[in-house]
Amino acid sequence: MIAVTREEDKAVIRLAGDNIVAASVAALRSKMRGIVQDGVRELVVDLTGVQMVDSSGIGLLISAHNSLRKVGGRLAVVHASAEILELFQTMRMHQHFSVSGN
Amino acid sequence: MTHPARVECAMRTALPASLQAIEEFFVEFRRQQSALPHGGSWFTAELLVREALTNAVLHGCHADPRRLVRCVLRLKGRRLLIAVEDDGDGFDWRAAWSHPAALTDCSGRGIGILRKYANHVRYNDRGNVVAIVKRLC
Repeated sequence: MIAVTREEDKAVIRLAGDNIVAASVAALRSKMRGIVQDGVRELVVDLTGVQMVDSSGIGLLISAHNSLRKVGGRLAVVHASAEILELFQTMRMHQHFSVSGN
Repeated sequence: MTHPARVECAMRTALPASLQAIEEFFVEFRRQQSALPHGGSWFTAELLVREALTNAVLHGCHADPRRLVRCVLRLKGRRLLIAVEDDGDGFDWRAAWSHPAALTDCSGRGIGILRKYANHVRYNDRGNVVAIVKRLC
């Protein structure tokens, strides 16, 4: 389940344990697109409870980062597990946006 | 000198070429994996299997659920063999292999993950069969 909390131009997406993988990116992409179109400029993705992010999930986060940058915003990923944090570092995601662990 | 018990385990599956079927596969994968050692390595193992299956479903079979993807996982000691075959026309893995995704690209990182995380990756010429070896920690 995707939960969104919003305060002015900042939003936090909590995934409640859903993985960010090929089967789930379409729903998450739609949600993120709507949030950015609605004026959010600082988007935080909270990975608490998320066990897996695959290449499709990484692509989605890059896409969200690209969209936010075009409008002067930024993306941050928080509460990543140790394994996901290592994956992001291996794939150099931390060069795009802020990534932090549990 | 004592030798640790040699774990041998195999899982063989045929699934329809859909992303939902991949998720159903991983319910069983996680159930079986939870009974095995090498706890810290299973994230990597799942990631490699996911990338191979997703490539087969999306690029090999164009997410047509009438097509089949076959997957064999074989664990011998610390060595995990992942073999995935689809009945599609295959995809141009050579192009993906030699042109990794740029930093700002929104797709094309599946092969890059295989290259970085697997110990060995081999495709057949047609590009519809991949064999991956991962040595678990």
